[in-house]
Amino acid sequence: MPKRYNIVVAGVGGQGLLTLGRVLGNAAIEAGIDVSIAETHGLSQRGGSLIVQIRLGEGESPMIPRGAADLLIGLEALETARQIIYANKETRIVMNKFIWPPPLEIYPDLDQIIEKIKGRKLRLYVIDANKISEEIVGSIISANMAILGYSYAVDPGLQERLEYKHLVKGLERVFRGKVLELNKKVLATAYDLGRKQVEK
Amino acid sequence: MGNEAIARGALEAGICFASAYPGTPSTEIVESLASVAKEAGIYVEWSTNEKVAFEAAYAAAISYVRSLVAMKHVGVNVAADILMSSGYAGTNAGFIIVSADDPGQHSSQNEQDNRWYGMLSHIPVVEPSSPRDAYKLVKEAYRLSEKYKQPIIFRSTTRISHTRQPVLLEEDVPAEKKCRGKFERTIERWVLVPAHGRKQKRRMMNVWKQIREEEGHPPFITVFNPGRRKVIIADGIAYAHVAEALELMGKTNEYTVVKVNLPVPLPYKPIVETLQDAKHVLIVEELDPVVEMQVKQVMYENGLAPDLHGKDFVPENGELDLDTVYRSIALFEGREPVAPWEPMKPLDLTPKIPPRPPVMCPGCPHRNTFYIVKVAANKARSKNPIFTGDIGCYTLGYQKPFYTQMTSFEMGGSIGVAHGLSKVVDEPVIAVIGDSTFYHAGIPGSINIIYNKGKSIVLVLDNFYTAMTGHQPHPGTGKTAMGEETYRVPIEKILETIGFETYVINPMNVKESINKVAEAFEKYKEGKPVAIVSRMKCALQAIRDARHKGIKLPVYTILQDKCTGCMVCVNLLGCPAIIVPKGAKKPVILSELCAGCGLCAQVCPFNAIVLKEKGSPNWIEAWF
Ligand code: SF4
Ligand code: SF4
Repeated sequence: MPKRYNIVVAGVGGQGLLTLGRVLGNAAIEAGIDVSIAETHGLSQRGGSLIVQIRLGEGESPMIPRGAADLLIGLEALETARQIIYANKETRIVMNKFIWPPPLEIYPDLDQIIEKIKGRKLRLYVIDANKISEEIVGSIISANMAILGYSYAVDPGLQERLEYKHLVKGLERVFRGKVLELNKKVLATAYDLGRKQVEK
Repeated sequence: MGNEAIARGALEAGICFASAYPGTPSTEIVESLASVAKEAGIYVEWSTNEKVAFEAAYAAAISYVRSLVAMKHVGVNVAADILMSSGYAGTNAGFIIVSADDPGQHSSQNEQDNRWYGMLSHIPVVEPSSPRDAYKLVKEAYRLSEKYKQPIIFRSTTRISHTRQPVLLEEDVPAEKKCRGKFERTIERWVLVPAHGRKQKRRMMNVWKQIREEEGHPPFITVFNPGRRKVIIADGIAYAHVAEALELMGKTNEYTVVKVNLPVPLPYKPIVETLQDAKHVLIVEELDPVVEMQVKQVMYENGLAPDLHGKDFVPENGELDLDTVYRSIALFEGREPVAPWEPMKPLDLTPKIPPRPPVMCPGCPHRNTFYIVKVAANKARSKNPIFTGDIGCYTLGYQKPFYTQMTSFEMGGSIGVAHGLSKVVDEPVIAVIGDSTFYHAGIPGSINIIYNKGKSIVLVLDNFYTAMTGHQPHPGTGKTAMGEETYRVPIEKILETIGFETYVINPMNVKESINKVAEAFEKYKEGKPVAIVSRMKCALQAIRDARHKGIKLPVYTILQDKCTGCMVCVNLLGCPAIIVPKGAKKPVILSELCAGCGLCAQVCPFNAIVLKEKGSPNWIEAWF
């Protein structure tokens, strides 16, 4: 049975989740792998909870069952915690070190979230994707590419299916010019960081 | 993306005319057509509403020009009038009505199953199982439409429309297409007086019968693994879930699976053949039992009586996914419905993770307007105003801290509902409507207020675009779908012409606007019909324009020594860029998120919010 590789991207509408999905999708096409990406648009994109479901490998159902994610990428901590239901014991979780509380709400803090995820003996990786983006681009707009580069470095499942050059090609299909160059740099910087993390 | 696949399929099928009113999840169909319109030599428009869009595209098709009209499921309600008639009159060239349904209500007020419209109007419904399928089936749908001279409803759903998948292109877009039509005066068809209508109905019923009888073959109906005793009949995307669930169970070989891509009217021959061998049958479809109902009819007509299940095992509300379909099949098999994945239990965090519904963006002009109107109402001693609402980003005003939408039913509804309310209650009533929605369906309601001496205020939030669906232009933008400059139709001129005393405000100037709106409230109290137009660009678009033009927007910050922690900025505005860090007593502004609208600075009673970084000298240009 050709198992599909399931990636859940969680975050807040406006954080560039759809773009991250498109880059990964294009990378899969470059690698000659079938892929489907399920998105939601419209009102749900306006600062609300958002997930994008990416499935690598053959098959038509675009939706990932709860518990069946191989990789969970969280661009924001509360949303990562919220979507933990997609994870199982083997899932790799890559979380941006960024908490963005919804206006006028009380919320758990970052340390608690990290502690609780670790308490479940899950493979959690925390990265400050906003900072990497800000240092290179001057704003957090490319945090999505930072977390992608890092996730790729720490996730053998993804490496098995895609080569790094496919990611770069995927990027080239989405961006152009100066923006492309900056995003490539973000991707590479975060990737190196991830490699170092794994080697440790 | 599924929507792009539909657009491409339609182009290959040789359409030369496409129209739509944007609505999630249908928007990108005509958006992608618009982006290639010139190159492809076709005509594309954003119409003021779905009914108008339908009329325009249908007119092309009766004049021998292939056409497409697209809308979201609730948009079909708006176009239902002409839809019903088009089933009677038929077409002369291929005509597809794309209905993008939204099971699960990701971005809609309901989840109606538009396959019923096919039943109701006797217009066949074609429904794909994936974006790839959509690409192929659109072309088949055009063939079907021309073969029977009948419009076709092409039903997509969110998970088809907004799923991306690689699609291998089969054909080129034809270089030669028919873009000039001819109108034939076959008044018997186009003039549906009773005598003609009766005749057309016979034609239509004939087509209906013929399709039911003759189209039971791929790509419309495909039977996998014929001859098994256990059968699953799966319609549209449900087929994709079924195929994967059976594979996961290792049961693909045990079942005959009937893939249905023409659910209305369901061709019965392959169903009869399959059911003759079957003992146990499960029907898997999203939302209503449209296929199930027809299969039961076929069973009765053919004296077949297998053990049949459908909506007793498959949920009737919400969208289907692999989990639910897996469970349904397991139940059907009489097994424990446990999935092969063990989902992680939610984390036990204290406090719990707060819900995160969509909110107005940082810098959103609606935030300013709502603040201004509420303060002005207070100032004018207009107590407890009732706000009726409409469809758009501003619907989010229903939440704290504003509560400026107390109803929201359908496009344009705010104005009609306000009028009715104002006739029966004493409080001031304010109808809140967006610019695009005003053009779409707000004008008739506005005329009605004047004509019937209503006393509700019309408040139009003009942010230059149809913002929620992705910034499509409209009659107030001054651009067409194909990017051409065009006439602008100013909203205040319409309102003035209708008879409203109209106030135009710039919500970035908070104090001045409060005074103007308070003045409007005074006039309203005197019994004058008043309307307010609040005009400032959508923040997302302003930020985008600033980036493209190299304009730097200002960024605000909170001086921690001046801030008293009164939380006025937090509690009155709800700007997502202003947060209170865990354990802190004073708010901070996340400068990466601040769009520099300056509202918080104008609201802080202690002048603690100041510019952190100045914008470029011309920063204001990005906003207007
Ligand atoms: S309104 Fe001003 S003083 Fe009050 S919390 Fe906000 S910044 Fe501080
Ligand atoms: S200026 Fe204030 S209200 Fe406007 S976006 Fe920035 S933080 Fe939000």
